[in-house]
Amino acid sequence: MTGPASLPRRTLFAAPALLALPTRARAASAAQPPIAIVLNSGGATVSVIDMTTRKILRDEPTFREPSHWALTPDHKKLLIADSSGNALFFLDPATGTELGHKLIPDPYQLWFSPDGTYLTITCLRLNHVDVYHAASLTLAHRFKLGSMPSHLSYTPDSRTVFVSMQDSGTLVAIDLANMTPRWTTKVGKTPAGVMWHDGVVLTAIMGSDHVAVLDPATGRITRTILTDKGAHNIFLTPDRTQLYVTNRVAGSLTVLDARTLGFVKRIAMPGGPDDLCFAPDGKLWIALRFASRVAVHDPVTGATDHISVGRSPHGIFISTLLTDRPALAAMRLA
Amino acid sequence: MQMMAQVLSHVPAHPFNDVAGWIEQTAVLPLLYRAGLMQWSELSFGWTLVAVYGITQMILAYAVCVPLERFHPLERWTTSKPVLVDVFYTFLARVGVLPIMTFVLFYAAQVQLDGFLADRGYVPPMLETIIPALFGHPVVTFALYALILDFTDYWRHRLSHRFSIWYALHAVHHAQRQMTFWSDDRNHVIDEVLSFLWFMLIGLLIGIPPLQFPLLILMLRFVESLSHANTTLSFGKIGDRLLVSPRFHRTHHGILAAGQKSCNYGAVFPLWDIIFKTADFARPPTPTGDPTAPEAMATGTYLAQQWSGIAHTVRALRG
Repeated sequence: MTGPASLPRRTLFAAPALLALPTRARAASAAQPPIAIVLNSGGATVSVIDMTTRKILRDEPTFREPSHWALTPDHKKLLIADSSGNALFFLDPATGTELGHKLIPDPYQLWFSPDGTYLTITCLRLNHVDVYHAASLTLAHRFKLGSMPSHLSYTPDSRTVFVSMQDSGTLVAIDLANMTPRWTTKVGKTPAGVMWHDGVVLTAIMGSDHVAVLDPATGRITRTILTDKGAHNIFLTPDRTQLYVTNRVAGSLTVLDARTLGFVKRIAMPGGPDDLCFAPDGKLWIALRFASRVAVHDPVTGATDHISVGRSPHGIFISTLLTDRPALAAMRLA
Repeated sequence: MQMMAQVLSHVPAHPFNDVAGWIEQTAVLPLLYRAGLMQWSELSFGWTLVAVYGITQMILAYAVCVPLERFHPLERWTTSKPVLVDVFYTFLARVGVLPIMTFVLFYAAQVQLDGFLADRGYVPPMLETIIPALFGHPVVTFALYALILDFTDYWRHRLSHRFSIWYALHAVHHAQRQMTFWSDDRNHVIDEVLSFLWFMLIGLLIGIPPLQFPLLILMLRFVESLSHANTTLSFGKIGDRLLVSPRFHRTHHGILAAGQKSCNYGAVFPLWDIIFKTADFARPPTPTGDPTAPEAMATGTYLAQQWSGIAHTVRALRG
């Protein structure tokens, strides 16, 4: 993609579609200290944290409600979805410096296809899934396939994107080659996080206490994995041996064996755990939605430290991902 | 200095959020989970915060206004019974069903409009997109939103006095002869709906204000509560012209200012009354109430007042 200056979209009563923000010079360098970028959904800010000192360096403003992030295929920009602010913000992923923003309707969760062709955005409030051409950020197709589209994941060949529909209780497969829906499956109450994993699709069922395993070809549920109340999102460890499931209602993390999907352990994590990242030192950086804090958890010792951030921290990105190839690969960003 | 830093380090960074977060995690989420309504979990934290702010605002108003009304009252009454219904109105408006309904209705309306615009290639406006220089200055943006919303509320309020049918409903607010800080939320439910629609229209035109300043929102609501207090308090010659004081607002509620002859319509800032020449800083305090309103509207129960508002409106419709 070419960056924020590429979108000719209209906005009511506003002169420019892309606001002419002063674009600050990109100051990324290899010498940058590692930072965590935390998206405070309720505070309309992005907290930039020095991962070494664990101090907040600054808060970058957004419009209303930053939720999730996506790294551009060239790893040069971090896209922040501001859902009720109807905007995508562009940050330097190494420094957290804001580079500009662009108005698009209701971006909630977003992810580039592995081949870098498309950027799929779920519009949870407006009930549509928008597929954009990644290079130009122009809309390729808009799907209206259910109520409250929430999270998404692609097949490794980028041909299919799977989207959970929170209110409809379904998982939908969209064929990106033909831009047509392929199948829709009732998966349970309030599905949220979605992940392609070893030839199957996993989706966390937030209105229940499990992860559903689906056959990507047919959409048939082949297995359910018990986790904990309010299973929300799923993350693969950089060494690809374990899966972490955040459980919003129970306030816990469930660790699963990545190969067998068998239960490994439960970690108490009160405060509404949402998204998380794995740091190179093995620690987990976890956004706690209802605690206004980020938890830094050491899975070896079990110790957890907290860093105060803005209200309702949601998505979290750590800059060490830029050089940590196993972690990038685990997140399907390499 | 070091001691101060130590003390401050023990003060929670986000006390409202912490309380709301605890309620969310221990009560709201488990309730939503059991009810099969987890799809609303994203929004429920917002509702919980609104309730926490509402309760805090009520505590603040109580802590400040009760001593003022007790030690510096403007009027003394033998009974405070007619005030009790206003307490009920306040609970209903600040922490009860109404804020949640407002939240849900506004959300639904916003979704419809934003979706309609998005399908036509438009993105809904916000002050920061109308005036790009505001971006990155959230406090200034919030202040501008507050001014605009107060300005539009001035006109809503003025029009509610101008049209006799609308005023027949608004009379519920004015009928109280024992006006206290609890009287701020004493409104007919249809009048509340009209206010909500008015706010929604403005909100859709200029966007929803950034809500990351709970203390500022609390202060604005506090000014509205304080302005109804039964106290001799005035903010002085200059202060009364900057912020609506109990003295300024009492003139609006005075028996000589009921209905179409009213003045001092501003809720937070008297500026609009000054600009549009409806300000009256000279009139001495008078008893409050609306002599034309039915007695049930003044001293009836909540339901009697609501019914009386409808009957009064029907009479106004018939001329």
